[in-house]
Amino acid sequence: MSPQLCPIIVGVGRTKFGEHYEKEPEKLIEEAWLKASVSAGIERKDLDAAYIADYFLQITNKIGIEEGFLSELTELHIPMEKTRSFSSALLNACNSIQAGRYNVALVGGMEKMTDRWEKIRDDLMLLEDPWSYYAGCTPEANHELMLREYMKKHKISGENTEKLNVALAQISVKNHHHATMNEQAQFQREITLDRVLAERRKVSKPLGLLDFAPISDGATALILASPGVANKQASAPICIAGSASATDYVTFPAREDRTSFVASRIAMQNALRMADIRQNDVHIAELYDQSTLLEMISLEDLGFSEEGEAWKDVYTSCKDYQGFYVANGRELFVNTNGGLKADGNPLGATGGAQVFEIVKQLQGEAGNRQVKTSKELRFGCALELEGFGTKAYVHILRRN
Amino acid sequence: MSSEPIERRVSYIGDRLKGSSCSLCGKEYFRLKDYCGTCGRKSFGRMKDIDFFYEKGVLEVCTFVKQPTNKFVKLGSYIYGIVSFHNGKVRVPGRLTDRILNGSNIDLSSFEDREVVPRFRRRYTVEQSEVIPTISLTFTFGDEYYPHQEYEMTKPRKEYETPGIVGYGVYVPRFRIKEPTMERSVPFIDEDAITAAVEAGKLALVHSGIDQALIGKVYVGSESNPYAVKPIASKVAQVLRLGEEDKTEGLQSVDAVDTEFACKAATSMFKDATALVYYPGAHMPYIMVIGTDNSQAAPRSEIGGELDFFVGYGSSAFIFGKQDVIAEIEGWYSCTSDTPDFWRRDLQPYPRHGGRFTGEPAYFKHISKAAEKLMEKLGLQIDDIDYFVSHQPNVSFPIKVARAIGFKEEQYMPGLQVVNFGNTYSGAAPIGLAAVLDKAKPNQRILLVGYGSGAGSDAYSLVTTSQIEEKRNRQEFSVQHQAEDKHVEYVDYDTYRKLKLGL
Repeated sequence: MSPQLCPIIVGVGRTKFGEHYEKEPEKLIEEAWLKASVSAGIERKDLDAAYIADYFLQITNKIGIEEGFLSELTELHIPMEKTRSFSSALLNACNSIQAGRYNVALVGGMEKMTDRWEKIRDDLMLLEDPWSYYAGCTPEANHELMLREYMKKHKISGENTEKLNVALAQISVKNHHHATMNEQAQFQREITLDRVLAERRKVSKPLGLLDFAPISDGATALILASPGVANKQASAPICIAGSASATDYVTFPAREDRTSFVASRIAMQNALRMADIRQNDVHIAELYDQSTLLEMISLEDLGFSEEGEAWKDVYTSCKDYQGFYVANGRELFVNTNGGLKADGNPLGATGGAQVFEIVKQLQGEAGNRQVKTSKELRFGCALELEGFGTKAYVHILRRN
Repeated sequence: MSSEPIERRVSYIGDRLKGSSCSLCGKEYFRLKDYCGTCGRKSFGRMKDIDFFYEKGVLEVCTFVKQPTNKFVKLGSYIYGIVSFHNGKVRVPGRLTDRILNGSNIDLSSFEDREVVPRFRRRYTVEQSEVIPTISLTFTFGDEYYPHQEYEMTKPRKEYETPGIVGYGVYVPRFRIKEPTMERSVPFIDEDAITAAVEAGKLALVHSGIDQALIGKVYVGSESNPYAVKPIASKVAQVLRLGEEDKTEGLQSVDAVDTEFACKAATSMFKDATALVYYPGAHMPYIMVIGTDNSQAAPRSEIGGELDFFVGYGSSAFIFGKQDVIAEIEGWYSCTSDTPDFWRRDLQPYPRHGGRFTGEPAYFKHISKAAEKLMEKLGLQIDDIDYFVSHQPNVSFPIKVARAIGFKEEQYMPGLQVVNFGNTYSGAAPIGLAAVLDKAKPNQRILLVGYGSGAGSDAYSLVTTSQIEEKRNRQEFSVQHQAEDKHVEYVDYDTYRKLKLGL
């Protein structure tokens, strides 16, 4: 897409992720939106529309019309739409800005999962097909099945099984390491490889507690503007050069290939085409590490690693970790904010944290976690999934 | 809260594992579909109904679930995975059932790529007041206790003058508890009187080879229906698709009813079934009678707990008709008295015994009377009878009553199955009859005497036909198989109580 048409992110904001038991969900989104508006230098009356996302507020907090709360919060009567994921909200905002309908839109996401601690794993099953649930599926089960299918398909056995297991654990260790430099992250502490492995041994499973993203509360927001408006405001504008989504069957067992997400592949291809770049041009990526396995699978789905090879890239890169993966012989920074694993995973807000990170990195404002690249850092991408690969959203961000 | 319409829709598909196949390209789907995704609009109206109820699948990949979601917690740990049918044409999610997984180290590869058989079970835990959710996305391995058996319909060869049994099935689960004088069958935690009834009915259809659409009525006798009001028989009719099916309305053209008279709830209906198939105006070629019980007993420490040394769990199903009969019913006799030897008041979880009536004025009086009266009516002597089968609440009563009437060990021992499975209440005498039919030669006479507390007895005289032997090959899951299979698993008392209580 030609640069003149790309929507521009003029400001980003987020809360710390974690357990906010003292805060209502409205307070979280208020904090995120205020931070975003400050960083964008806009007033609430500048907003033409709002797109907000959450998965479970209806269940966790009995909030049925989120738009009404946001209207009250901002004292605005502008059009607002609610989606599940932040990336979905962002994609819709991009579409409407590109269509020339709005000039400035608020994109926000929030989730309050810890308010329903006892039932949240059941709630998460809403993201699977009902029949899998009826048959006894759990939020973790499909990850474990996918790992086994992956190992079978790529004939990984013996010593390689060991290496694959270590590689997956290293993803968690690496993401925790990144989060130590992210003051907004849920877990700002290092973990060791041994602990990840010990948690797996405790339950005799290939993926353990430290392989999965946590239950989190949090909110994120950004201000999206049309190029005409934005160029007057932002000092270091980051534009959305490519945005795409794709879908897949909700029933995991019914999918043809259960070792990758076809939706991720399609979304990435379309986003690259829209941005008119190749995946080699992307040097930083936020991937949806709902589990360590999904970060690894996504490396392949987005074309950074060859099929069946991502675990090798991870294993080799993490042996003596330099802050980036070497995938297919080139540097790739992944989940520099700590990923879902360590930054946190408040579902509706998660995609916003991904975009927040890419924006900060591309602006060179990521503080002590700022990546150092030999070449100029121009493109970053964020992959967000809904459900177990049922929907995939890829946004490619470019520094102008 | 559950939703009744959702339960109806889910069990309508899930109990039977209904699907669709495209008659143009052959693509198959789990769940009903009006068109094929590959062929598009031209396939509309050209999809065939299929189901996987009698099929075998392959467990392709699996994982060990140790932390189930809330409604599955009572199942403990289980194996969950993906099951494929028809060489991978269809894949469904599935849970392995009938496994107590205590060990922490599970070798998943030992479960994968093995054949599995769908089993009809409870789905998960709900409130006591709610509709019981069921499903057949639960599986066991075909090379273990419960074999995969095809349901092959065969054209009947011969019509008999006297109606009788044309097929039967017995189901007891693979779990047992050992007692000093017997072994007792123990349900897995997702089983109940409803699931056992469906299993037995399914096995009876397999054995009979009749067209299930020709069944005109199904009786289900039980005293442990988990519902106070709602028949087991309607579930059996729907899942087994008894009678002609009206797909647009989701109706079965069949009469279905539950019966209750303590342990003779099923045997009592044998005569009704026989009479119905004999009456030309009924137009009911076949009738199914099921006796099913998750025999209730208070824990040993409580009042009524003396039963907790004897009760079992299981079901038997018999199909009556006039075509390809394996045992003709030559006569019957019933007697009844208002004797309160055993009862359970409404809302009470466990039955009570009237100690002074148990035995002599109840069991022995009614069974002896019924047996002797029927023999007198048919002019039979003890030596005319090859096998004697009576209700069997424990080991000693049926032996004592058989001896008192004058039967010898070789006549009553083959039908004495309480030693293997415990007292399966409505299923007890019928399981004894099934064990005898499993062995009997043509032209042998069986005297069956059921007994129900409260109190009454039904005596039947059956004579086997030449077709009994040819049909025998159709049933691999015989009573003896279930009694002696090496996959039988023994549990301790605490585990037994937990399993018996169910989800």
